[in-house]
Amino acid sequence: MHEVSIIQNVIEIATQKALENHLSKINKVSLRIGQLSGVMAESLNFAFDNCIQGTMLEESTLGIEEVRALGECETCNLKFPIDHFNKLCPTCNEFCTSIVRGYELYVNTIEGD
Amino acid sequence: MSEIKVVANILHTNDEITSQNRQLLNKKGIYVINMMSSPGSGKTSLLERVISKLKDKVSIAVIEGDLYTTKDAERIEAQGVPVVQINTGGACHLDGKMIKGALESLNLNDVDLLVIENVGNLVCPAAFELGEDIKITVLSTTEGNDKPLKYPRMFENSGAIILNKLDLLQFTNFNQEEFYEDINSLNAHAKIFETSCVKDQGIDELCSWLNQQINHKRGGNVACQE
Repeated sequence: MHEVSIIQNVIEIATQKALENHLSKINKVSLRIGQLSGVMAESLNFAFDNCIQGTMLEESTLGIEEVRALGECETCNLKFPIDHFNKLCPTCNEFCTSIVRGYELYVNTIEGD
Repeated sequence: MSEIKVVANILHTNDEITSQNRQLLNKKGIYVINMMSSPGSGKTSLLERVISKLKDKVSIAVIEGDLYTTKDAERIEAQGVPVVQINTGGACHLDGKMIKGALESLNLNDVDLLVIENVGNLVCPAAFELGEDIKITVLSTTEGNDKPLKYPRMFENSGAIILNKLDLLQFTNFNQEEFYEDINSLNAHAKIFETSCVKDQGIDELCSWLNQQINHKRGGNVACQE
């Protein structure tokens, strides 16, 4: 996928937040990536290492937390783990009515000095 | 060292612009389709068929996404409906900003149906909302029935799926039973159409369903999607 443009947005968001908080250097950026988002951690790491040169994030590391996908069943209101290939409610055996988690693409925290 | 909570959506720029596009399109009562597929599945041919059958009933406009050429836009223009070309210059998907620019070139007061033909690609377009009412993914029989499981997100997020080139089914090893099973596991709520542009098969059913959706939106029965 478009991991480079994702990382460029990450750098923009992290830099802006760092400046707002009077940081001079970013040491770590932590992302939350949904299991269904189709974004590969390995490709993000590769893009990150290449894109941070010459930015405030130059010496930072990238943390990636995967968010488990959750579906919701309208019949019994249960929220249950799903993946691309199985979205059936374990109680009712109905196909989930909505996907409540799994497509996240977030910058969660930054750490810096 | 200090840790700062950010919680910012990485695609926030796209989401903000898309939300503006959606508000504008909802206000005008325009039904919007984001049409996606791999290259060569027949998106443009389907559009040509649909336009020729629907254009006397509803007012149609098209936004054509393409890396470099105007080939598809020329085909749509020949159908006598307004078309705006977006050349992404190599980018693999359309985004909200590109659509915003294209909307400025259209007279939206006179449009009931806007079709956005995305760049041919089964991966990236699925991740970028454009302000559409529905995502429609086209799969052709010659691509093989394994594609929904190999590219799940696009099929998972689509309100309707069109199985195209049905006339070629007999020459392929496409397994329809597996196709339906797979779609059912990814997205049991998707409406499925089977079409052949060459044999003019299934196009009337597709058009009549589209007409219902268009009338529903035009009639002001617009659920706020924000």
